[in-house]
Amino acid sequence: MDTSRSADWLAKALVFSGRPDPAWAVPGSVAEELLRLWSELPSSTDRQPSPPALGYRGCLLEAPDGRTWESFGGQVTLKDGQTTESRGDPGRSFERQLLATAPANTLPPFFSN
Amino acid sequence: MTIRITIDIFSGRPNPSVELDDRESANVLDRLMPERRLAENEPGLPAEPTLGYRGLVVEQIGERREELPELFRVVDGDVFGRGLAHRARDERVGDYLIGADSPLRRANVDQTVMERLPEEAERFRDIRRAWPIEFPPIPFWPRCCRCGPIYEPGWWNVPSRQPFNNCYNYATNYRTDTFAQPGRAAGAMYTSLSCGSVGPAAVADDLIDTPDADNACPTVGDLVAMVIWPDADFHWYRKGRNGWWSHKRGGTPVTNVDNSGNYISDPRYANRGPYIDFCTFHGCHAWTHQDQLTGWLRR
Repeated sequence: MDTSRSADWLAKALVFSGRPDPAWAVPGSVAEELLRLWSELPSSTDRQPSPPALGYRGCLLEAPDGRTWESFGGQVTLKDGQTTESRGDPGRSFERQLLATAPANTLPPFFSN
Repeated sequence: MTIRITIDIFSGRPNPSVELDDRESANVLDRLMPERRLAENEPGLPAEPTLGYRGLVVEQIGERREELPELFRVVDGDVFGRGLAHRARDERVGDYLIGADSPLRRANVDQTVMERLPEEAERFRDIRRAWPIEFPPIPFWPRCCRCGPIYEPGWWNVPSRQPFNNCYNYATNYRTDTFAQPGRAAGAMYTSLSCGSVGPAAVADDLIDTPDADNACPTVGDLVAMVIWPDADFHWYRKGRNGWWSHKRGGTPVTNVDNSGNYISDPRYANRGPYIDFCTFHGCHAWTHQDQLTGWLRR
């Protein structure tokens, strides 16, 4: 997979209600590492956990071709057009690694992942 | 046509589930076909979830049997789901599915769980028989808001509107498709994420500061409420015509429950997650959402 177009990989923390959610570019090499991590996670048929009505609802990695990996509550779900595939991530390593790529002061105060 | 059966039994661990093959699925679905509607004096389901075995959840995957919903629950010989509270064709289907000849036995389900199921099913049967099938009383019904907007999440929760309109759009019932920000259109956008900054920005947008509203509807227009996640974000609620409040969190669907899953009679006392500062109520002109794509908020 060509992940060299680093500027085209985007991350987003799903957290706000009034303001637009914080978004930032992810380097291609980091995206590649995240995809490798995702490919090693076990398949999951569990229902996606419900996020709270207000507050942090997970984070998202978006590929240049539009595919997204959304992570919340120990699950990472790949959405590719109409298809979805979930993987279990009880340690939330995908989510933590993705959020760790956020530039300083991008995420809100009191943000705990 | 296949089905997935989940044994609804655990609280902390994930419930075990198995997917049946086509032949087994067809056999089980034949047994589950709704035969007659349950009478009022027959046991239904407890009004609240109980601990321990709570029945089997059946999901139809792919092509489905039309007489049964995509997702439903089987308890003893009864099936429950959307539009469904029926006795199944095979009244002993529940026993069959948890019994020694069940396809669940051939699946990779924890055998200690399987061995306990008959006993657990009996316990749940007793609960169903004894349960007072009553909904908990509603302590009060909030006063209606004559001029308030109707709760119609379906209008907002569509791909052409939902992602582009936020809590402020929804609360003011004003679609702009721009993720409206208080004060932006009036050239007086908030400068910090605090009550003292976002409030005046909203007033610049023509909202009416009504700190003494005390959850009562104005005689003209709607009632909205502003809350703050200090230094991080703002959020708005709106009071509906039926007296209950609803809201829209960013680009996600409209909802009428708070972070605890409760209906909202007063946002001051709702579970608001990190939006810990309740700022004030505001009056809002009674716009209709359908025709606002060219109005003042659109910038």
